[in-house]
Amino acid sequence: MTNKPRRISRRSVLAGLAGGASIMALPGGIRTAGASNPFKMGTFFSLSGPASLFGPTQTACNALAVDEINAAGGILGRTVQIVAGDGGAPPAEAAKTAVRMMLRDKVDVIVGSHDSAVRQAIVGALKGRIPYVYTPLYEGGECAPNTYVPADTPQQQVRPSINAMHDSFGTKKIYLIGNGYVWPQQTNALAKRYIAEFGGSVVGEEYAPLGPGNKFDDAVTRIKNANPDLVLITLVGGDNVNFNRTFAGFGLDKNIKRLSLLLEELTLQGIGPKNGNGLFSCMSYFSAVDTPANKAFKARYAKKFGEKAPPLSMIGVDAYSGTNCAASLINKAGSTDAKAVMAASEGLQYKTATGTGTMTNRHVAKDMFLAEAKGAEFKIIKSFGKIGHGEKCSV
Amino acid sequence: MDPVLIANGLNISFEIVTLALVAMGLAVTLGLLGVLNLAHGEFVMIGAFCAFFVQEQGLSYLWAFPLVVIVCIVIGWPVERTIIRALYSRPFDTILATWGLSLLLREIVEFFFGPGFNSVDQPVSGTVNIFGADYPLYQLLVMLIAVVLIGALVAWYVKSSTGRRIQALVDNPDLAKSVGIPTIALARNTFIFGLCLAGIAGVLLAPIVAVYPGMGIDHVLKSFFVLVVGGLGNVVGLVVGSGVIGGAESIVAAILDRTAGYTFVLIVALLFLWKKPGGLVSR
Repeated sequence: MTNKPRRISRRSVLAGLAGGASIMALPGGIRTAGASNPFKMGTFFSLSGPASLFGPTQTACNALAVDEINAAGGILGRTVQIVAGDGGAPPAEAAKTAVRMMLRDKVDVIVGSHDSAVRQAIVGALKGRIPYVYTPLYEGGECAPNTYVPADTPQQQVRPSINAMHDSFGTKKIYLIGNGYVWPQQTNALAKRYIAEFGGSVVGEEYAPLGPGNKFDDAVTRIKNANPDLVLITLVGGDNVNFNRTFAGFGLDKNIKRLSLLLEELTLQGIGPKNGNGLFSCMSYFSAVDTPANKAFKARYAKKFGEKAPPLSMIGVDAYSGTNCAASLINKAGSTDAKAVMAASEGLQYKTATGTGTMTNRHVAKDMFLAEAKGAEFKIIKSFGKIGHGEKCSV
Repeated sequence: MDPVLIANGLNISFEIVTLALVAMGLAVTLGLLGVLNLAHGEFVMIGAFCAFFVQEQGLSYLWAFPLVVIVCIVIGWPVERTIIRALYSRPFDTILATWGLSLLLREIVEFFFGPGFNSVDQPVSGTVNIFGADYPLYQLLVMLIAVVLIGALVAWYVKSSTGRRIQALVDNPDLAKSVGIPTIALARNTFIFGLCLAGIAGVLLAPIVAVYPGMGIDHVLKSFFVLVVGGLGNVVGLVVGSGVIGGAESIVAAILDRTAGYTFVLIVALLFLWKKPGGLVSR
């Protein structure tokens, strides 16, 4: 997750050791074949690092999808078996794991939910030799061969939500704040275009370094002076928590709306019920989505994992939809041959937590939701219906 | 006066004071005792979880203070006896041992509270208007409490006989023992005292920041820079170091952005290690 030059510091040493420890702690590590000829699915979920709080949900949602796929006959008639890698590791480390999965473990497909730096490393390591499905939300533009991206794109997240905020609250002056890496910067570059579309203006833009948590007192002071109607937030994890707590602490929540693009149930829990006044989020999944499909999904999840189930959130549930996407993709192609899978991806239909996903240009048009923080929970205030992804990858 | 200037001044003060608050315990364990406690941040984290725990039980936030002192004594006593005591004269082994301890503490907290973010409500909410700048009341209180704590620590160290005994212990342990200073108990109590300071810093910071098992690193990293710049073995160095590191970072951050501020701090710390390894205030 870090994009700073690596130093031998307590932090990097600790992070390395923590990563090693959590890999060793994997249940069974790389499991040996149970069935005679299993279909091997390599996974990259956040088992360590700053995003590791999502790891349990990702792993659980993946396991639920694998159960359901196996019950329905597996992939190409073979039982699915998981080969787990750590998507929370540094990119170079993840690339090595991907190569090992491909050459030694002979995995048939890889599914990943992690940051964009790790995605780029995995894409570089695989070179399209096996299908790779990348599931969370991202900045768009990933068209590498044999790579499939059911993730939320900026056109799906930013365009409908920023227009809806403008329609409902008249927010025209917008301040952009994010962490300094590829997702926030590219998302904001597109956001500026969407803001110009409805005649809004950008009154400030700044990035905080990704790494140990930042203080945001000075950023909040700058925002107050810039006096925007809306702050578009692309901060992640602990920084998203710190910023929103400071923002509300300084009392800016009374007059300025906030729209965060990576705000799910776990981060909201950290922000706290008293600091979520006027705070919105737009993603393809919230636990609060009130559709029959999501109710059924939540019931199946609760039945499998019981009371101790990891909390459901966008980053995690994406692994459920992504695993189904991979299975449907290869079943439709009838093989794992790159050309066949690429061809099968166009028009592919597969099961998601909230309904059905349809893949075109190796991305997915999907139902998007605008949610408002109400205490410790989200309230869905608008369903945008199916929103196009805006990506133009060839197949 | 210009409210923007006031607001920036308050932000810079807050940065310096909270930095000193977190570095205070480290100044005691590393500066006075010579124990480089890599688990320092985890005790800040434990303090924050004490605040979270008492609020979750429906109790007043203030109960977190006695709780964290008890928790730090309960953890610190056996840790000092079994791990630290044997390693007082072996600094590198201490680093490895406390590194292991930090992993263990994080895993234990994660086992009980989960890996996710938790929130602690501010015991007092709202903002106060200071010469035209709205500032959170709670952050103002934290600054006041921190200044009092640091002042008390400096006064205690300079004036009290315990402070002088610790000085004697650090300067020449054998001589200190031979003149009747109970060096073993004194070292243990000093170590536990340092942990308690870290825990109290955690309780004070919890209502402002993200509370999660990995938060220690967020808060402790710059404390090491503070001691590099300020110098070891003197509590006054803590104040000076915090002023330089916290002030430099927040001034650069206010003018440019956080990335520039952080880079500047790294450069300052590197320059000090290179040109003035003893720090500004040497013993």
